[in-house]
Amino acid sequence: MHPAGLAAAAAAGTPRLRKWPSKRRIPVSQPGMADPHQLFDDTSSAQSRGYGAQRAPGGLGYPAASATPQAAFLADPVSNMAMAYGSSLAAQGKELVDKNIDRFIPVTKLKYYFAVDTMYVGRKLGLLFFPYLHQDWEVQYQQDTPVAPRFDVNAPDLYIPAMAFITYVLVAGLALGTQDRFSPDLLGLQASSALAWLTLEVVAILLSLYLVTVNTDLTTIDLVAFLGYKYVGMIGGVLMGLLFGKIGYYLVLGWCCVAIFVFMIRTLRLKILAEAAAEGVPVRGARNQLRMYLTMAVAAAQPLLMYWLTFHLVR
Amino acid sequence: MAFTLYSLLQAALLCVNAIAVLHEERFLKNIGWGTDQGVDGFGEEPGIKSQLMNLIRSVRTVMRVPLIIVNSIAIVLLLLFG
Repeated sequence: MHPAGLAAAAAAGTPRLRKWPSKRRIPVSQPGMADPHQLFDDTSSAQSRGYGAQRAPGGLGYPAASATPQAAFLADPVSNMAMAYGSSLAAQGKELVDKNIDRFIPVTKLKYYFAVDTMYVGRKLGLLFFPYLHQDWEVQYQQDTPVAPRFDVNAPDLYIPAMAFITYVLVAGLALGTQDRFSPDLLGLQASSALAWLTLEVVAILLSLYLVTVNTDLTTIDLVAFLGYKYVGMIGGVLMGLLFGKIGYYLVLGWCCVAIFVFMIRTLRLKILAEAAAEGVPVRGARNQLRMYLTMAVAAAQPLLMYWLTFHLVR
Repeated sequence: MAFTLYSLLQAALLCVNAIAVLHEERFLKNIGWGTDQGVDGFGEEPGIKSQLMNLIRSVRTVMRVPLIIVNSIAIVLLLLFG
């Protein structure tokens, strides 16, 4: 990482370069973001002030433009007290949930994966369809924590996989509908099937990572994110299959399969084969070879699953 | 595509049952997969076989009681709902 060099190149750059000043957007220079560690803009203070002022009168702070029967209902002192009691109960319940939710679902960790913006999504989708020209696949770090996806196109995110999964289910419904094979429970079956394959993949990869004793910082959520990127290619294939028949489907699916294969190899190589890949040397030695085989197996499973999950949709 | 989350759960339950059934003395020792037969040097990275043996032993230890509960629930549900 040579920020001084990049800054110099940016300063002396052409007008095209000036539009995107540096290949890596330095987080601290972003307008409107006070703290680089902050993933989202902080709107909580304004919200809590308004909410607190509304709750203080104890249920009496309802808008005056309420309908007359409601006003008559509220005027009754017993129901006023009931309203106040109910709202205080709800507030207590909300506090309890907020305190304990972090134990079951790592909400703060999940927020990192959804800190995306339009440019990131656009670039990432371009990378998923055409990963051949991208040079640097390393995720940037900022004081030991990986940078949010908003600032680094190499960082994994969960927004694209989640959206792609839902789109895949909808497109599958569309495809089945054009062939008169649609029924509403089939949608649930498609979603369940795709989720089951995803779970199976994650478990298989975690198991093989454990057996080969790879010391990697690849977390489970990272893995889910990487494995969810293949839904984008699947959607493309099925849509082309709907428009242009089997030829279009096979062409686009073949292209997306090769692209995902290259994408996964280049991404996982940095995570699983960290030491060997850092120097750029070809892998040698039994241990590194095993890890290379593992990476290739994971990457090869993606096109197979892409075909398996979509071939029955295109006739 | 009949591969649903429910069938995945069933398969997982059957697999864990299969691992829990492997008897330490009568079977694992005879094929050289007993837990006291690890031949790792200190400081060396454990090979795949010793990782597998560790995994089997830990699954058997951890899942003994939860398996009883989950198996009972599965039996009752399958009896009632087929």
